[in-house]
Amino acid sequence: MRIATVALLGVSLAVPPPQDTSGQRAFGAVQGKTGAASTAASRFEQLSQAANLARTQDRDEDAIQLYRQALDLQPGWKEGLWYLSTLLYEKEHYADARDVLRRFVAHDSDKGPGWALLGLSEFQTREYSRALDHLRRAMALGMGGRKDMAQSVFYFVAVLLTRFEQYSDSMSMMLAMIKSGQQPDLLVEPVGLAALRMPLLPAEIPPDRRDTIRMAGQGALALEAEHRDEAEKIFSNMVAAYPNEPGVHFLYGAFLLDLRPDDGIREMKRELEVSPFQVPARLRLAEEYLKEEKFDEALSLAQQAVKLELKDAPAHMMLGEVLIAKGDLAGGIQELETAEKEAPQTVRTRWDLLRAYTTAGRKDDAQREKEEIEKLNAPGGGQ
Amino acid sequence: MFVLFPFLALLFTADPALPRKPQKSFENIGTQADTARTSDHLDDAITLYSEGVRLRPSWSAGWWWLGSLLYEQDRFSESQAALQHFVAIARDPAPAYAFLGLCEYEMQDYDQAQHHFQLWARKGWPGTADLIDVAAFHWALLLTRKGRFLEALFLLATEAGKLHNSPALAEAMGLASLRMANLPEDYPPERREMVWLAGEAALNASLPSKEFDRADDYLRRLTLHYGQKPNVHYFRGTIFTFERKNEEAKAEFQAELQISPGNVPALLELARMDMDSNELSEAASLAKRATEIAPNDADAHHMMGRVLLATDQFQESARELEIAEQLAPDSATIRSHLALAYRRLGRTEEAKRETAAFLSLKEKEEVMAPPQEKTAVPKQAGPPK
Repeated sequence: MRIATVALLGVSLAVPPPQDTSGQRAFGAVQGKTGAASTAASRFEQLSQAANLARTQDRDEDAIQLYRQALDLQPGWKEGLWYLSTLLYEKEHYADARDVLRRFVAHDSDKGPGWALLGLSEFQTREYSRALDHLRRAMALGMGGRKDMAQSVFYFVAVLLTRFEQYSDSMSMMLAMIKSGQQPDLLVEPVGLAALRMPLLPAEIPPDRRDTIRMAGQGALALEAEHRDEAEKIFSNMVAAYPNEPGVHFLYGAFLLDLRPDDGIREMKRELEVSPFQVPARLRLAEEYLKEEKFDEALSLAQQAVKLELKDAPAHMMLGEVLIAKGDLAGGIQELETAEKEAPQTVRTRWDLLRAYTTAGRKDDAQREKEEIEKLNAPGGGQ
Repeated sequence: MFVLFPFLALLFTADPALPRKPQKSFENIGTQADTARTSDHLDDAITLYSEGVRLRPSWSAGWWWLGSLLYEQDRFSESQAALQHFVAIARDPAPAYAFLGLCEYEMQDYDQAQHHFQLWARKGWPGTADLIDVAAFHWALLLTRKGRFLEALFLLATEAGKLHNSPALAEAMGLASLRMANLPEDYPPERREMVWLAGEAALNASLPSKEFDRADDYLRRLTLHYGQKPNVHYFRGTIFTFERKNEEAKAEFQAELQISPGNVPALLELARMDMDSNELSEAASLAKRATEIAPNDADAHHMMGRVLLATDQFQESARELEIAEQLAPDSATIRSHLALAYRRLGRTEEAKRETAAFLSLKEKEEVMAPPQEKTAVPKQAGPPK
C-alpha cells in the first residue's frame, strides 16, 4: 500500500497550504503591543522565515525542527501546521503528521486538502474508520483543483469502502475513476476485491488468494471496457480454476445473464450452492425470473433476500417490483417505500414508486417522486 | 473506530448541572461557551471554555465540556489534560474515567487506559448509552491485547446484540476469537481475511437471533483456507459448543491438537467435555498434560483441581486449586471449588474464608456484566457534579 500511496500522492504535497498566513499576521497584530510580546513576535518571525527557507532548500529535518519551534510560539499558525504536516508525511512519520493535521483542521475545517492529508495519514496508521470519514469530508469539500490529491483521495475512499463492506459504492467510485482517466492497472486488485465482496485492502490480500482476486478484477475491468470476449475468457477460466470460491460464479453469472440467460441462471444457482447466504445472487436471479415472468420463483428469491438482509435496499426494491408484478400493489408499494427509506438516492426505486403511485391513483405522491427523480438526475444530484 | 459510535452527539443533548459562576465576566464567558457548544461552533466553544477555566480553575463543568469537545476533535492529549483537571475537582468524576480511557487508548497509553476503564466499570458504567458502547468496545480491544480473550468476547458479544452488522465489531471479535493478542491497528495485514471470517462467525453466533447457520458458513470458509493455522479449529469447536454440537466440537478440539499439540485451551475444553460425560481418567490425563505444558496457567490447574475433586482426591485437588488461586487470585470460580475441596477435607474455617472470597469476587467479576443490567445510573450526558 505504501507504494500505491507514494505513486498516487506524487508531487501533490509540495504545494502551498490551502490557507493564507492569517495566523502569522494576527499574531503580529495582537502581540506587537508590548515589549515582551514584541520580542516573541520577532522570534516567531525569525523562526518561521528560517523554517520556510530550510524547506525550500530541502533541509527537511531542519525545517521540521524550526516549524515546531515556531508553532510553540504561535500554535495556530496555519501555514506552519500545513508545511510541518506535509514534511512529516513525506518522511513517513504518519502519526506525527496526523497529530499536526488534527490541529490544522481544527483551525481550518472547511479546506479539503487538510482533511485529505489527515485521512491519508490515518490510513497509514491503520485508523481506517477515521480515514474514511475524513477522506469523504475532503471529497465533499473539494481539493481546490489539486488533481493528484483528488485521485489519491478517490482511490483510498474506494478501497476503504470495500473494507467496510460497501462494495457497490466502492465499485461505482472505481468505475467512475476509470471513466475520468485513471489507469485501470492500479485498480485491478481493488476492483477484484469489491467484485468478490471481500472486505480487504489490496495490502491485506493473502498470497494464495491474489490470483483469484486479480482474475476477478481483470474480468470486471474488461467488461467495463466492453471487451466482452476477453471478459468471458477470464471469467470462465476463473470459475474453472476456483469453482468453490465465493463470488466467482456470481461474477460469471452476472456477465452471462445478459448474453445467455440460461447459462447465467446456472451460474447463479451454483453461486448459491457455494455461498448459501449470498443476497446479490438471489436478487439477480429474481430479476431474471421477473423478466421471464416466472413470478413465483422471483418472489421466493426476493423474500429470501429480505429475510437475509433486513435493511438491504435492493432486496426490498426487488421484492416490491415482484409483488407489484404479481398484482399486490399495496404490498409492493410498502416494500418500495422501505427501499426508498434505506437508499433515498436510488433512482430506480423512485421510478418504481412513481409508476406504482400512479397506478394506485396517488397523484400527489407520484408527483413528489417525479420531482425527486428530476432532482437526482440533475448534475450532482445523486447516483 | 470513532465513526462507529457518534456518541458526542448525545452529549450535546445533555442538561448539565452547571455550577453557578459568580463573577460577571466569567458568567458571560460560560454562557457564551454553552451557546457556542449547543449551536455547534466547536472552535469558539473550545476557546471560550479554555478562557473560562483559566479564569476559574474550579469550574468543573468547563473542564468537562472542554475535554469532551477536544475529544470530539480527536485532540486526545489536550482532552486528557482537561479531563484530568475535571477528575481532580469533580465530586463525581466517574463518567470522565471512560473518556480518559478513550483518550489514553488513542495516545497508546494502554495500561493507563485499561486502568481507567476498570475504574469506570467499578463505578457502575455511568454515562450515555453511546459512551458505554464506545468505552466497552475499546476496553474489549485492550483485554484482547492483554490476552484476556474470554472477557473481551463477553463485552463484544453484548455489543453485538445492539450493533448487529458492524465491520469494526466483527474485526474485534475475530481477533479475540482467534486468541490473537493484537489491536485492530497492529495485527499482520495478511491475516485480515482470517480475522474477518472468524469475526463474522463469532458475530453471527452472538446475535440475539443466534444466526448459527450463517456462523457455520463463515467457519467452513475459515477452515477451508486457514485450517492449518493455530486456534482456527479451537475456535470452531467453541462455536459448535455454543450450538450444542458436542461431537463436532470435540472433533474440532482434537483437530486443533493435531496442529498445535500444546494448545492448552483445546486440551482444557476436551477435559471439560470428558468431565461432563464422566470420563474422568481421560479428563485427568488431559488436564495433567495442560499443567505440564503451561505450569503458570491458572485454568489448567483449576481444571486439574476440579478433576481431582470429582475423583474424591481432595488433598491433591486442594493443592492444585491453591496453585490456581495463587495464579488468578481474582477468580471467583476457583475460590468456589477450593471452598468445596476444603469442606470435603473438613477444613471448615478455610472453607468459610474461601466462600466469603468467592461471594466478594463474584460481585467484583460482575463488573463485566452488561451495563444495562448492572446499573440504574440515569443515562445523562452532562458533566457529573
